[in-house]
Amino acid sequence: MNNLVFGKYIPIDSFMHRLDPRAKLIGLFLMIAAVFIPKSWWAFLMIAVVELIALLLAKIGIRMIAQSFKPMIVMMIFLLVINVLTLHTGELLFMIGSVPVHHDAIFNTLFVVVRLLLMISITTLLTATTKPLDLTLGIEWILKPLEVFRFPTHEIAMMVSIALRFIPTIIEETMRIMNAQKSRGVDFENGSLSQKITSILSLIVPLFSVAFERAYELADAMEARGYVPGAERTRYHILKFHLADYLFILICIAVFAASILSRIFL
Amino acid sequence: MAISFKSLSYIYDKDMPYAHKALDNIDLELKEGVITAIIGETGSGKSTLVEHLNALLLPSEGSLEILDYKLIANQKIRFLKPLRKDVGLVFQFSEYQLFEESVLKDVAFGPLNFGYTAQEAQERARRALKLVGISENLYASSPLELSGGQKRRVAIAGIIACDPKIIVLDEPTAGLDPKGAKEMTDLFVSLNKKMNKTIIIVSHDNEMVYNVCDETVVLSRGKVVYAGDTLDLFNDPVKLKEFDLLEPQIVTFRNRLIEKGFKLSREARTLNLLSDEIVRQVRR
Repeated sequence: MNNLVFGKYIPIDSFMHRLDPRAKLIGLFLMIAAVFIPKSWWAFLMIAVVELIALLLAKIGIRMIAQSFKPMIVMMIFLLVINVLTLHTGELLFMIGSVPVHHDAIFNTLFVVVRLLLMISITTLLTATTKPLDLTLGIEWILKPLEVFRFPTHEIAMMVSIALRFIPTIIEETMRIMNAQKSRGVDFENGSLSQKITSILSLIVPLFSVAFERAYELADAMEARGYVPGAERTRYHILKFHLADYLFILICIAVFAASILSRIFL
Repeated sequence: MAISFKSLSYIYDKDMPYAHKALDNIDLELKEGVITAIIGETGSGKSTLVEHLNALLLPSEGSLEILDYKLIANQKIRFLKPLRKDVGLVFQFSEYQLFEESVLKDVAFGPLNFGYTAQEAQERARRALKLVGISENLYASSPLELSGGQKRRVAIAGIIACDPKIIVLDEPTAGLDPKGAKEMTDLFVSLNKKMNKTIIIVSHDNEMVYNVCDETVVLSRGKVVYAGDTLDLFNDPVKLKEFDLLEPQIVTFRNRLIEKGFKLSREARTLNLLSDEIVRQVRR
């Protein structure tokens, strides 16, 4: 369970790590929009080059990004098979047995695959270089305008950051309880339906009791430190845009604009 | 030999950039029928070592023999259940594994999984609960309503009820009050002496280790740096310094008395034994 690469923060220091999370979030939206607009390979190449430079600036190995593609492989193969079986336009390229493979089937699949890969690598880049807590700060800032409609942005952001903070803890807890029950002869993989239900229960019940206990402890700790929901709060870390952040957003806008232009002119 | 490790290594997140070798080429023999302590600073690999003992983790390299079972790196095993029945593992903060609606049912859960009939399982559960000192009027209550110390004893009863030959306890006294810790120690000493179980304890409590454990294994950064007699280890200032261990208070105390002319044997490893010897000499 700890082998998930997608969405994992990589604790190093780099140019991308130091960027303001709000700038990175805006950049993410622009880049993902840019990925879904163009219909030309040149535009994809441009986005890929920008992405590659960003990856280098983030000091994240290409290998790690490749790792995050792994779960997608099955989906891509599935997509290819569906496309080959259903799309019969474009020139006939070759036959696999009695199945004709057409130009459009291959190229449509490639198109979707490239878009997906770009999107995943952009998202991975964001999550790998931004601490989950900073990310929620950024999201809170972006949702701020909704406060006009009495939308509780701060409370939501607090809930999200607490939830994010406790994911690793809960995973660890789950592993420990699973191990403890395995030692008592529980088999989580095999067994009849009723055995399976018991084995799931033996995991869920302790997990809930631990989670509630932790929740109470956390609530006490927060109250002890003077947390009042909805109260006006000052921050220890104040987010501030720097020159690099403006530059970064500018580049993302440029890519976004270029991809729109490519849709019009190419 | 109850357990023998042969050049065993374990690597977390193998093939990842942040792979971590938690156990490094371990060669170790643990004797049958004695109490063995495994000590070492946090992160030295104690828990990883212990999780091999009932195949929750499998060796990345090397092999491991437990009773008649053999775990070899990269080989599938088919005897998980019998192995886990014979080696009972009590986890740190084991009170969090309780889930059934009654104490008795929870303790009977293990034996049921290992194939005992409902009646046998209940009998075993009753016997185990008696052994750990849970009174009969608690059998029907929910395990989640008990006190911390009681919960832990119920959890340990859940393992004892499976009738393992080897019982492994990870930090069994952590978080208990002094009385609870003493009772816990007495419990596993009696499991060893009266029921002839092989006991393996992971602990940070050197005093307890010195008092009751026959053998001690010291781990440091995934390697075994000492394996042998407990008294030999803690009475050797050079070794204590080398492994960065605190001298047990009882050793300090005895050494000071010997300086003053008392004749005290090394076997006086508990406060009771030591005071007996002192009293005898003062009278004389």
